[in-house]
Amino acid sequence: MSIDTNYAHPEALVSTAWVSEHLKDEGIRIIESNEDVLLYDMGHLPGAVHIDWQRDLQDHTIRDYIQPESFAALCSKNGITPDTTCVFYGDKSNWWSCYALWVFRLFGHDKVKVMDGGRDKWIAEGRPLTRELPHFTASSYPVPPVRRDAEIRAFYDDALAQSRSKLPLIDVRSPGEFNGQVTHMPEYPQEGVLRGGHIPGAHGVPWKQAVNADATFKSAAELQKIYQTDLGLKPDDEIVAYCRIGERSSHTWFVLNYLLGFKKVRNYDGSWTEWGNRVGAPIEKSL
Amino acid sequence: MSYPHKLSAIIELFAGLSDAEKRETLISYADQARLQEPKEGEHFDLEDVRKDEECTDTVAVFLRLDEKGGGHFRVTLGPQVQTLTRAMSSILCKGLDGITPADVLSIPADFVPKIVGVELVRLRSQTVYYLLTRMKGVAKVWLQRQRQSSLEKDDAVSE
Repeated sequence: MSIDTNYAHPEALVSTAWVSEHLKDEGIRIIESNEDVLLYDMGHLPGAVHIDWQRDLQDHTIRDYIQPESFAALCSKNGITPDTTCVFYGDKSNWWSCYALWVFRLFGHDKVKVMDGGRDKWIAEGRPLTRELPHFTASSYPVPPVRRDAEIRAFYDDALAQSRSKLPLIDVRSPGEFNGQVTHMPEYPQEGVLRGGHIPGAHGVPWKQAVNADATFKSAAELQKIYQTDLGLKPDDEIVAYCRIGERSSHTWFVLNYLLGFKKVRNYDGSWTEWGNRVGAPIEKSL
Repeated sequence: MSYPHKLSAIIELFAGLSDAEKRETLISYADQARLQEPKEGEHFDLEDVRKDEECTDTVAVFLRLDEKGGGHFRVTLGPQVQTLTRAMSSILCKGLDGITPADVLSIPADFVPKIVGVELVRLRSQTVYYLLTRMKGVAKVWLQRQRQSSLEKDDAVSE
């Protein structure tokens, strides 16, 4: 299926067929990012490199992302230059590929795309996987001058201000998590959060509403209905999205930013594992 | 308690491996997960097939007891089950093979990070512990049924 040209930025989404035709293109790097820590090793797209959300993108001693120097080193190691178009794909309907893409954007790497349908669609179509590890000559990636947190990332204080100002806060977790009935994600163990509920004033719009059964994104018209017609969001609204640790909300961030063209969307990556545990943080339940 | 002999051998194998080698060995075990599925014609004393909230897909655990009371596990995993959990199913089916259900219950879970390595036991890979919990659950049910059966036999004799 081709990509809907009515998306605000259809160039940010590519089909499995497109990727298949561009696997060996110079100037393109295919990047797999998964939740399953060993899935890449079990087989990946030919030529794809592996970027692990925790090992590669997070600081190991501070709850934060890597610093610009480490990002430059990561890109250099994988033969990525500022001109390289990075095409992300992965498991779990592309949660982690959107997350990795969002982190790349934090460092100002704007040539990014997502493979629609992710890893599962590639496999379902009978396309090839390999266990052969690609080797790229190390590149020279300049250290980004700053990490652009202020533009696309929200912190606790930002989310609190958003809540108090009654500006749009999108909780993309499952209804049970939003309501406060459960403190874990469906099909996952408890991840150490003390309280259930949501940030006061947040709207519950599960990430899953944005995808079809095959993990591809819904059409522009369907997404507009969900986020604009039904929820009432406007393209110039200042929006903060959150989930538990920022991966599902990266998915929604990608939808709002690239597919619907909203200009001021930030991802609160501290999300419920910070808010639900934080001393003094107000919560709302809707049981 | 000390680990069963076969499980100890696997733990020792992993102890001597580098992180990269551990990863490769886990992949190899994950590849063998299908070999642990029930074979045609096999009969089991207990079957536990379910989709739990804390796991992404259906996991079926089968237990057969031999004439000496030793247990033999078989496991079927749904396609969405994580690779580490697949590897652990192979490791546990082999490592616990032949031990009694009572011994299964007393195995501590602290061998898991020794096998998997600290880097891989983390948020979103905690289901690596899930299969041991399921196997212990099956062993517990089997023991309860045995006790119940013994009580009923005793009652019948005394009557």
